[in-house]
This record gives sequence, structure tokens and C-alpha cells, in this order.
Amino acid sequence: MQVNLTVNGRPHSLLVEPRTHLADMLRETLNLTGTHLGCEQGVCGACTVLVDGKPQRSCITFAVDCGGAEVTTIEGFDADPTMTALREAFSAHHALQCGFCTPGMLVTARDVVLRLGETTEARLREELAGNLCRCTGYVGIVDAVTAVAAGRQPQAQQAVVATAAREAAPLLQAAEREATPTLMPAGGAMLEERVALAAAPEAAWAALADLRRVATCLPGAQLDSIEGERVAGRVGVALGPIKASFAGTGSVTLDEASRTGKLIGRGRDGASSAEGEVGWQVLPGAGGGSTLVVQLSWRLTGPLAQFGRAALVRDLVRRLAQQFAANLDAMVAGQAAPPARPLGLFALLWGLLKARLLGR
Amino acid sequence: MKAAAFDYRSAGSVAEAVALLAEGETRVLAGGQSLGPSMNLRLARPQRLVDVKRVAELRDVAADDAVCRLGAGWTHAEIEDGAMADFSQGMLAQVAHGIAYRAVRNRGTLGGSLAHADPAADWVNTVVALGGTLVVQGPSGQRRVASEDFMLGAFTTALSGDEVLVAVELPRLGAQARWGYHKLCRKTGEFAKAIGVAVLDPGSGLARVLAGAVEGKPVTLPQTAERLREGGPAAALALLPEEAEARLAHLAPNERALRVVAVRRAIEAMAEG
Ligand SMILES: Cc1cc2nc3c(=O)[nH]c(=O)nc-3n(C[C@H](O)[C@H](O)[C@H](O)COP(=O)(O)OP(=O)(O)OC[C@H]3O[C@@H](n4cnc5c(N)ncnc54)[C@H](O)[C@@H]3O)c2cc1C
Ligand code: FES
Ligand code: FES
Repeated sequence: MQVNLTVNGRPHSLLVEPRTHLADMLRETLNLTGTHLGCEQGVCGACTVLVDGKPQRSCITFAVDCGGAEVTTIEGFDADPTMTALREAFSAHHALQCGFCTPGMLVTARDVVLRLGETTEARLREELAGNLCRCTGYVGIVDAVTAVAAGRQPQAQQAVVATAAREAAPLLQAAEREATPTLMPAGGAMLEERVALAAAPEAAWAALADLRRVATCLPGAQLDSIEGERVAGRVGVALGPIKASFAGTGSVTLDEASRTGKLIGRGRDGASSAEGEVGWQVLPGAGGGSTLVVQLSWRLTGPLAQFGRAALVRDLVRRLAQQFAANLDAMVAGQAAPPARPLGLFALLWGLLKARLLGR
Repeated sequence: MKAAAFDYRSAGSVAEAVALLAEGETRVLAGGQSLGPSMNLRLARPQRLVDVKRVAELRDVAADDAVCRLGAGWTHAEIEDGAMADFSQGMLAQVAHGIAYRAVRNRGTLGGSLAHADPAADWVNTVVALGGTLVVQGPSGQRRVASEDFMLGAFTTALSGDEVLVAVELPRLGAQARWGYHKLCRKTGEFAKAIGVAVLDPGSGLARVLAGAVEGKPVTLPQTAERLREGGPAAALALLPEEAEARLAHLAPNERALRVVAVRRAIEAMAEG
């Protein structure tokens, strides 16, 4: 796609792929390598540049989204008096060592100095928190910015849009719902979810023992083959914008007497892999129905292992178990399971990978 | 990592965005501050994005004595800076200030945050705490969804694939109103480990207390809120542990404790404010 924009005062008309982010366009196409890339997920701040005068992350800004914009990179501040003062102060206060963070740090610092003027050290540190420096320990950086901000007034406020007169409909009153606490035990690497089924234990167990039918109740799951204890299939996952398809194999064991089953599986989507174990048991429930107990444990290998947000996984287990139970009940009652949104077992594991985005 | 290939379209109006979404395999791009990281990590691989950044309707502001309607396209930084006359007794500006970092706030939008529905996101919890309404537009026109019904679970909302979140309606807080917002996180700009919100507006009778989640839908504490209305912060604090115990029974004790601390600090902040 064609994108027309101004970089450091010079107009450019460039051809870029939509997926190219601004930082790559600056570095690769315009050879402005002063903009550094650290994390490419918005966390480290090394890639911070000005877009229309405001600091922004060039790693999570698509170049095609900058049509008509004025971009200023670290190379574009030679004649800027505030940046000149900051450069000198950074040097005087030893505010850099390897310099990797410095371009983003300076762009952020300039914005803080202009926007807030002289401010407290606490506020300064808060404002600089989005720019990581692994060398200096920040003391020199804070001293440098403090020195440049000393005695300055904050920038004048922008125009304010009035929030006045119109006919507004009254707010909708959502019924306050009763929270429905579950029986799940707290904590641990294993999660347990219990759901009530209308079907009697015998009927529920018979349905659960038929893996092909069970798979149709698991949202997003598809069973490709069963050979003895070996099963192979895939689980589609959709969580907001995140979509994945885990191909997996596993082994299943069933124990008729105790009405328990166990699936040990391994799934893979591209570079991510996960191992998990699901156990289930059918117990007699209230009113002739039954209670389905689902237990889940998982192990992540490789780079995934460091991420985890158990609470998020638990919410997914709960939703999955409820959807699964509703479908299973419908199946036992002889109705076709409704096509559900894909939310698979491996969504749980996938949720952990997703947590990488959240654990920042 | 780099995003997978996709097609990019820019919409000039909500109707145009809806029409593009209706063709399928298309997602809205607002600030890209959640979509960008997910795409760079290849957790999300949308086939086509329709950019709504230039849609003027998404920046409408309208209000009367009771309700203020804010377009979905306002950025966190604009709300932080008070780009629209304040109707929340300073609450929205403070919440906005606590989201991420300035460079992220300069792009990320109110609507994008709500549509993304990260349980730990600040707007998700604030809008439910205020009992707001979301205005959504699809092929057959606009509909309004109560904030408590909007989020179905983590990263899942009542928006269908061909709908755009257009605006958020929030109550105008009166001069007597008090609020407290407490976000627990280890590092500035991080997503919350726990969020507590308390709002009391004697003028309108609004009283709400919320234990913001990190795993699923925010949990409101209506009995504590009722105590707040009747007896003020001290009475609310006295009931809080009991109601939290019951409504947050699904959480591990340490997570529940974090939640209770966040709510307690929110109520205490309200008492001081
Ligand atoms: C380093 C970092 C730290 C962060 N910290 C926090 C934090 O502490 N608290 C917090 O709350 N948030 C935090 N965020 C997230 C930030 O607030 C995002 O701006 C926000 O979640 C998404 O808004 P956006 O406009 O960028 O949406 P996008 O990323 O463009 O879109 C997000 C999702 O919403 C959909 N969408 C967007 N707009 C609409 C619409 N109008 N109608 C329908 N669907 C729509 C998109 O299709 C996409 O699925 C952080 C982000 C980063 C990068
Ligand atoms: S590279 Fe952009 S924030 Fe780290
Ligand atoms: S100077 Fe090395 S990272 Fe900051």
C-alpha cells in the first residue's frame, strides 16, 4: 500500500505492506536506525517516536495507519532546544550507558518536560515507567530530566469539548445478578469444576464413554481418529482477536466401575506446545440427575512455561465446563448440541500464552 | 516477532465500517494497543482490519443533566487531559492516567479497551462500576447494552462480528458525589492484579461498589453498596468482608484478599476525598 507521510520534516511517499509497523518502516525503508526495537509489544518504550507531536510506540503502530501524519524520530531533534538541553543533561548526569533505551527515553523525557514542566520526582518516575533501561538504574536519568524541567511551566491545556445539552436516554438498568459461587477448591496447579447435569448418572456416563459424541460437545473440538486408547484431533480457539488451532494427540482411559475417565494430551500450534491432563467423573446428583466433576492440570514446556495467570484460566475452565455440560445434557436428551463458539480445552493452555501479553 | 499479513482498510463512517465487517473475516482496528501486541506475537492473525481512527462519529460528545455520552474513539490520554468537560468529578481523568504509559495512552481508545474486554482493564471495570450503557451499531442499526451484560467473559463481549462499539453512556456525577478507585499492580502502567471501585452520589442515589476481576466479568457488591448509601463508608467497610467472602468464593484466598484490599482502599479513598 502507498502511504504518504512526513518524517523529520521531509515528505515521503512509500510503498509498504499493511503488516509493516512504523518502526520497521523507519529503520528498514528510511534507514533511520535511531529508533530501537526491544520487545515489539509496547512494553519497553525503546521504539517511542513522536506521531503528530505525541509520543507513541512505533512497534504497535502500523505504517499504513500513519497516512498524513508527521513523524519525528530521534534523528529529527537536532535543532530542538528542549532536546538539546536533555542531551546535554543526559551526558552530564550519566543517564545512559549502552544507549539502547536512550532514543525512546529522550522522546518520552522531552514530552514530560514540555507537558508537565517542573514536577515531583515521584511523578517523573511514574511518567518514565514506560521506558525500560537495563543499565543505569534510572537515577541518572531522573536527575537529568529533573535538571531540564526545573523552573518550567506546564504546556497550556488544549481546548475542551463541552459536555452539554442534548436529549439523553436514561441509562439501562441491568439487573444486579446474584453471584453464583462454585464448589471449586482453591489454588493449586490443578483446577476442578463441577457442573450439574439433568441426565441420570448411567446415561451421562454412557454418553461420556463415547468419545466421538463427547468431542461434539466440546466447543471448537474435532476428533480426527481413535485407535484403541490413542486419539488425535484438533481444538479451535477464539478468544477475542486471538485465534489458534491446536493439533493434538492423546490417550484416553476409562473406568466403568468408578465412572471416571482420563485424557492425557499434547497440543501444538506453531511454536507453542502444551501438555495437559483432563480427568472426569460422573457422580449421582440432586433430583435423579448427576454431577460431572472435571479436573484439569497442565504443563507448559519451552518459552511458555514462564507465563501464567491462573485466575484467567479458571474463568475459562468454568465457561468451558458449563458449555460442555449444556451440550452434553442436550445430547443425552436426544437433541442436537447447538453449534457453539469455539472455546476449546486448549484455550486454557492458550490462555496462559495469552497471559504473556498481560503479565507485563 | 512480526504480524502475519493482512489487508488494511480505513473507514470514513461507522456505517462503512459495519459494511466492511459484514463481509466477514474482518476486525476493527482502533488504537492497535491491544491488537498490535497480539498480532506481533501472532496470537491474533486477522485477515483484514478496518481502521476506525478517522471516523468522526466516534468522537462525538453529548450530555444532559443526568447522562453523558462519550464516543468510543477518544484516547486514554485525551480523557486524562480533560479534553471534554468533566462530568465525573475527576474520576475518568484519574482512571485514564493509571492506564499503561503515556505513549500507549496517546493511541489506545476507550472503545478499544471495552471491546477487547480484558478483565483486568481499567475501563472495563470503571464502566461497570458506574452502571454505564454501551451503544453498539450493526447492519440493522444501533442498540444499547447495559455494561453488566456487555462482557460475557474474558475477552468475550456481546458484540457480534459485524458490530462497532460507538459510544459509552455514563451517569453525570453531582457535586456531592464521592468516588474511590484503587488499582493494585506491582509496576506503574501494568494491568491490575485487582481493582476496587466505589461510587456514591447522594444527588442521584447512585451507589455502587465493584471488585474488579482479573479472570472474568467484574463482580459488583450490591449489599456493600446499599450500606454505603445508607450508612456511608464506615458502614460499607463493615459489611465488605462478609459479602466479598460470599461473592468471591470462586477465588483462591490470596486472590480474594487482594480484591478485598483494593475495594477497601477504594472506599477509604472515597471517605477521605
Ligand atoms: C504496554 C501496555 C500496557 C497496557 N496497560 C494497560 C492497563 O494498565 N490498563 C488497561 O486498561 N489497558 C492497558 N493496556 C491496553 C490499552 O488500554 C489498549 O489501548 C486497549 O486495551 C485497546 O484499545 P485500542 O484502541 O488500542 O484497541 P485495538 O487494539 O485497536 O483493538 C482491541 C480490540 O477491540 C476491537 N475494537 C476496537 N475498537 C472497537 C470498536 N469501536 N468497536 C468494536 N470493536 C472494537 C478490536 O477489533 C480488537 O479486537 C496496555 C497496553 C499496552 C501495550
Ligand atoms: S519495541 Fe516498542 S515498546 Fe518495546
Ligand atoms: S542505557 Fe542501556 S538500556 Fe538504558
